[in-house]
Amino acid sequence: MIMKKKILKLTQAIGLLALMSFTIAPPQKIKIWMIGDSTMCLYPTRQYPIAGWGMPFANYFDASVSVHNHARGGRSTRTFLSENLWQPVADSLQEGDYVFIQFGHNDEAKEPQYAARYTSVPDYKTNLIKFITETRAKKAVPILVTPVSRRKFDKDGNAEETHVEYTKAVFEVGAQYKVTVIDLDKKSRELYQTLGPKRVQYLAMALDTGEHPNYPFGQKDNTHFNEYGARRMAEIVLNDIKAQHLELADRFVKGMNAPKVNPQVK
Amino acid sequence: MSFLLPPDHITLYMAGDSTMSIKEVKAYPETGWGMPFKAFFDQTVTVDNKARNGRSTKSFIAEGLWASIADNLKEGDYVIIEFGHNDEVPSKATYTPPAEYTANLVRFITETRAKKANPILLTPVARRKFNAQGVIQGTHDLYSELVRKVAADQQVPLIDLDKESQALVQQYGPDDSKFLYDYVDPGENPNYPQGKADDTHFSELGARKMAEIVLADIRSLKLGLADRIVKPRFMPAATKKP
Repeated sequence: MIMKKKILKLTQAIGLLALMSFTIAPPQKIKIWMIGDSTMCLYPTRQYPIAGWGMPFANYFDASVSVHNHARGGRSTRTFLSENLWQPVADSLQEGDYVFIQFGHNDEAKEPQYAARYTSVPDYKTNLIKFITETRAKKAVPILVTPVSRRKFDKDGNAEETHVEYTKAVFEVGAQYKVTVIDLDKKSRELYQTLGPKRVQYLAMALDTGEHPNYPFGQKDNTHFNEYGARRMAEIVLNDIKAQHLELADRFVKGMNAPKVNPQVK
Repeated sequence: MSFLLPPDHITLYMAGDSTMSIKEVKAYPETGWGMPFKAFFDQTVTVDNKARNGRSTKSFIAEGLWASIADNLKEGDYVIIEFGHNDEVPSKATYTPPAEYTANLVRFITETRAKKANPILLTPVARRKFNAQGVIQGTHDLYSELVRKVAADQQVPLIDLDKESQALVQQYGPDDSKFLYDYVDPGENPNYPQGKADDTHFSELGARKMAEIVLADIRSLKLGLADRIVKPRFMPAATKKP
C-alpha cells in the first residue's frame, strides 16, 4: 500500500516535471561583460578598501548570470582599444550576453600628463559606436553607462556636474543607436546631493593616516569609492536596470524577505 | 600545499558570532568585521574565521566549533575570541549565564595555551543604541565586564571592542551611525526588497571600521601578530587619475 502510494507520487512528480518543461524553460545562461575604468574595475586585496562598482554589482544576479569585469584603471575608450583590451571581450561574446560600457574619466583628462589617454569627444563617440556595433554583431546587448560623477561641491553645497561634455556624448550615441543609457553620472550626483559634502565622504576612498595598513599615510580622493560607496553605485545601476524594464532584471537575486510569487502566475 | 607556506606561517583563528562571521552573498550587504579584517595580514598568516551567526560560547562549544579550532591549533597560532550577543539574552536557547560564560572563556584560553598558541579576548562589539539625548547606551555592560575580569585574571591581551566601538558610534552620532550598520532603504538592494534597519549587524563600512579598531589595538598592545600586518605595496596615489 505504502509502495503503491510512493509510486503514485513519483508518477505525479514525473508528470509535473514533464509539464513544467513545456512552460518554464530553464533560463539561458548569459554573461555580463564590463568594460570601463577604475571606478568600475576589480581590485586586489592589497589595494582594499578601494572598490570599483563592478565588484558588488556581481553579487546581485542569480545563477543564470556570470559577470566578467574587464574594466581597468586609467583606461579611456582609446587606450582600452589600443591596448587590445576590447578585442578579447568582443571575441568572447555570445548571443544574449550584455556589455556594460562606462568610460569618460580618462577620456576627458586634458592635463598634459594625461595626453596618452585623452580622447576628444568625437573620438570618444566613435569608440563607443565601435563597442556597440561589434557587440550587436554578436547579437549581444550593449548598455551605455554615463561616467559616475566625481564628488565636487560648490561653496553653497551643491553637487557639481563633472563630466558635462562626455555624458552628453553618451546620450547622443545612445539616442542615435537606440542603446539603453543608464545615467549613473546624474543619479550618483543626486545621491551626493542628498548626502551632502560631509556624509558623501562615507562613500569615498578617504582614510586617515594609520587607519588602514594598505595606506599608512592615509588617502583621500574625489573620484574613487570604498567598499560601501561602490555598493551604493552598483545599487543605482541595478535599480535603473529594473526601472527601464530590461530583461536582465528578471535575473536579479530574489531577496530573502521578498514576497513569494507563484512563478506560473507571473 | 603546506610546504609552500612560509616557514614562520601561523593561523589566526576567529571564534565568535554574527558580528564577526563571514556572510553568505545572499545576506549582503550585511558584513561581519572578520571579513575586512582578513585583508590586514601578510602571507605568513592564514585567517580562519570560524565565527558563526547566532552562537554563544555555549553553543559554539556544543556544536563542535570550538573543537574544530582547538584540535588544529599549532604553536604560535592566535585565537581571537569575541562572544556575548547571544550569551547575554536569557530568552534565547543560546543563553549562557555569567558563571558559565566566564568558565567557557577560561576554557578557550586554557586550551589555546595548552597548544602554545595565543588567545586574545575581545569584549562584544557595540549595538547602535542611543538615548533621547543622543548618548550611546551600552548593551553588553555585564558581559563586557566579565570579559575584562577574565582577561585580567588570566593575563590575556584584551581588546575592549565594546568600549571602543561605542566611542566610534558616538562620534558618528544617532543619524550618521546608520551608515555603519546594515541599513538599507526599501527598494535599494535586491537582497532586501522591503529594506532593512539592523542595529546589531554592520554594513561594509561599519565592519571595516570595527576591524580597524581591532587592528589598531593589536599594534598598541605590541602583540607579535603586529609584525605580520601587511606592508603597503602602493604608495599614496592621491593625484592619480582613475
